[in-house]
Amino acid sequence: MGLLTVLKKLKQKEKEMRILMLGLDNAGKTTVLKRINGEPIDTISPTLGFNIKTLEHRGYKLNVWDVGGQKSLRSYWRNYFESTDGLIWVIDSADRRRLEDCKIELYKLLQEERLEGASLLILANKQDLPGALSASDIAEILELPSIKTHHWQIYKCSAVTGENLVEGINWIVDDISARIFYID
Amino acid sequence: MSGETIDNYTPIYDEGNMGQSSKAIEDKLFDEIIGHIEDILLEDDFHAIQKNFLDNYWDVFEPAEENKLIYTNIFNEYTKAVENYIVNYLQKVIPHFNINTFLKHLNNKQNELEGEVFEVLSTFTDFMSFKEMFLDYRAMKEGKVQDLSYGISITSLKSCTNDNNSFG
Ligand SMILES: Nc1nc2c(ncn2[C@@H]2O[C@H](COP(=O)(O)OP(=O)(O)O)[C@@H](O)[C@H]2O)c(=O)[nH]1
Ligand SMILES: [Mg+2]
Repeated sequence: MGLLTVLKKLKQKEKEMRILMLGLDNAGKTTVLKRINGEPIDTISPTLGFNIKTLEHRGYKLNVWDVGGQKSLRSYWRNYFESTDGLIWVIDSADRRRLEDCKIELYKLLQEERLEGASLLILANKQDLPGALSASDIAEILELPSIKTHHWQIYKCSAVTGENLVEGINWIVDDISARIFYID
Repeated sequence: MSGETIDNYTPIYDEGNMGQSSKAIEDKLFDEIIGHIEDILLEDDFHAIQKNFLDNYWDVFEPAEENKLIYTNIFNEYTKAVENYIVNYLQKVIPHFNINTFLKHLNNKQNELEGEVFEVLSTFTDFMSFKEMFLDYRAMKEGKVQDLSYGISITSLKSCTNDNNSFG
């Protein structure tokens, strides 16, 4: 770690967390981000770069990074791993066809050294769609119980209705803070 | 090793086996380094780094909420250039300057890092400030603003205490 990075860490006054949101394209990452930030969600186009939002949540400052998930963009994800406290992996629960691809990409991330300590929140998004798989089906298909390297949790949710998003965020914030800030 | 017994009453585990005098030396060196960094922030050569980046890349940055992936490369290059400049400078002016020792001292003094120099240094690693700086410069280049001041206010160290979030 260089001088400037060290200084930044030391100078952090508020309790800050860096959260990286990834997943296949069209999973709903940007919609989730805008929804939890209270912004309109009706004009979102596919992300070619990345978005950053700073959210205040239960006394924490969350810096959430949402990076585009198209296949051609995934090799750039690694540029955003540094200092990540939490990873939110968003899934289109109705897109059964791409679940295998989704699983492969997720497990690649879990092997990344720079994501080693990160808490993992999996959002089984788009639960409002009729064809959506349940969170437990997805957990089984993705073999989530086999993950021993990270604290993880799966939440079903819908970025459109807003269902369960806050619960998911609460979990990851609690998990990170228990690790980092030793809440008493 | 001195035979000093003056501070015998302080618990020995308190400072490791660092005597009072070496602590004083460490503090003095630390203040000296910070003084040099303050000088650097006011140097023309140092400002030239920022100016070069702005001139090379201002037209890459667009006033849109979504960021292009290329911004990250430019940002990383920028923080590296700033950091290298500072470290090289310190190596030139301080005999036996050791960055790792300095980082350790910074850590020890975590709660004493007050002052503008630290505020300014921490803006160099803030991506949103960086983007803002480019957008301001772009607006200036395109003649959308009259005011020629732009960028992270390293030129106006003395006046930027109360508005960390505004630039220029
Ligand atoms: N029905 C439904 N559609 C969603 C939901 N979340 C996102 N979408 C839609 O899925 C598409 C892709 O969303 P987007 O946020 O751009 O996905 P990203 O590529 O992961 O950022 C958009 O048309 C969204 O409106 C959801 O919970 N339910
Ligand atoms: Mg997106």
